[in-house]
Amino acid sequence: MADTPQGDLAEPALKIEGLHAGYGGPDVLHGISLSVHKGQIITVVGPNGHGKSTLLRAISGLAKIRRGTVRAGGKDVHRLGADRVAASGIVHVPQGDLLFPDMSVHENLLMGAYATSDRSVIAGRLEKVYGLLPRLRERHAQVASSLSGGERRMVGIGRGLMAGGHILMIDEPSLGLAPLVTEQIYEVIAALRAEGRTILLVEENPVRVAHLSDEMNLLDDGRIVWTGPPDELLTRDELLSTYLGG
Amino acid sequence: MDVFVAVVVSGLTNGALYALATLGLALVWGSMGMLNMAHGAMLALGGYVVFSVSTTLGLPIWLAILAAAAAGALFGGLLYLLIVRPLLRHGGRGFETSVMIATVGVSIALQNAILLTYGGQPLRQPFAFGGAIQLGQGVMPLLNVTIVVVSLLVMAVLGLLISRTRMGRAIRATAQNREAAQLMGVPVERTYLQVLGLSGALAGICGVLLSAVTQLSPTLGADPMLKAFIMCVVAGLGNLPGAVIAAFGLALIEAAVQFSFGARWGFPVLLMLVIAILIWRPTGLFGRATIRRM
Repeated sequence: MADTPQGDLAEPALKIEGLHAGYGGPDVLHGISLSVHKGQIITVVGPNGHGKSTLLRAISGLAKIRRGTVRAGGKDVHRLGADRVAASGIVHVPQGDLLFPDMSVHENLLMGAYATSDRSVIAGRLEKVYGLLPRLRERHAQVASSLSGGERRMVGIGRGLMAGGHILMIDEPSLGLAPLVTEQIYEVIAALRAEGRTILLVEENPVRVAHLSDEMNLLDDGRIVWTGPPDELLTRDELLSTYLGG
Repeated sequence: MDVFVAVVVSGLTNGALYALATLGLALVWGSMGMLNMAHGAMLALGGYVVFSVSTTLGLPIWLAILAAAAAGALFGGLLYLLIVRPLLRHGGRGFETSVMIATVGVSIALQNAILLTYGGQPLRQPFAFGGAIQLGQGVMPLLNVTIVVVSLLVMAVLGLLISRTRMGRAIRATAQNREAAQLMGVPVERTYLQVLGLSGALAGICGVLLSAVTQLSPTLGADPMLKAFIMCVVAGLGNLPGAVIAAFGLALIEAAVQFSFGARWGFPVLLMLVIAILIWRPTGLFGRATIRRM
């Protein structure tokens, strides 16, 4: 487990309070509150279509926040556009990758560092990403649209790391991937955890991410219905069967 | 031999002009999913700016050409700030249609403003000049050579801008995936402003070159705009290298047909060819199977 700051002494890396958000119609999220401290991996689990991705999209400025606040590094970011949220250090690795299909792997990774102009910093991050995801070095000249699903996911994560932000939000990293590839992806997240990265992770299946998480939040119908240690969730059969069908 | 040279010179000159006009349209479509119907009128604006700066103010022609590019960029920027941005923010799913209708209105307004300012009588562009290079039995007018060279230079600069600069990366990223670009910290609204400014600058320069081989008139850009749109579709909407290839290829074919069968056959044959290409490849010669909406 990463060290968790005690009480309110340390400002969380990300603090969400009373968040109501959605798209054109009614709210999808109803009063979400959670905090992610430096070095923690906080996971949000829950059934499909109940607002997990909308939560990340609202934080990163892609979904409309109607009420509530989002603070990152002590600053309000909930009124900022997506580009300024990204520039503030909140890095979102979205579900479905959202790569730039006509750009090479290398160019996609460089786009991750768009907000950085220091070439030596970019080169350093690139080396680190290639070290962590060696497959991307092999594929660096390949156009993103020609990659496999697993490779695309790795580019998405690598691109997120290139941004060098202080919090990484990863949306269902294993969605639609073969078990072997899923394992590789979670090995990468475990390596990020070992580095002390601050991560807000969204996943449908709590069993896959329990060993990585400091805290789990169960999201149902746009509300957090349970928060606690991952081990406890796995023993709560009534929660698993009611909300996760397991 | 002289006929061959004439066909090639005419094809390359028209191809260069079409390519510049097509690039401006394709850049905006590819980045924003927007068909700028005012692009033709912006061509005319460039031509008249050179006329005013050169004849009325008496400034050197190179400065007048820069002024035309600047005026086009400024007009493109204003078009974005005053019309496109509000439509983007509030137009929702109907953006493509509403912006097309709005830019038809802008086109009519700009043409009429030119008509009121300069009158309807065609004017001679001061940039036009004589002289020719003898090539065997054929001749290459210096004006045509200049048009091709200037167009190629402008295209090369645009190519470098798009492929090598931070602004170009932002434009390409926004064109390929707007949401992803935002998540990387790309200010998408500023990028759109830059795209319309660039497109306007291209239209301004194209208008100068075009009016040098024709004459200045408020409807100067109407025919090139139509052909540029056709070439955009043939290339695959939004494909910049494809747009250049399509422009030169179709212009050479048009020139060959005009010399062989008469000028009136050029455009009909071009249209028949375009229809055949679109039946064969509905997304254009270089287009993707699906067109991404921005």
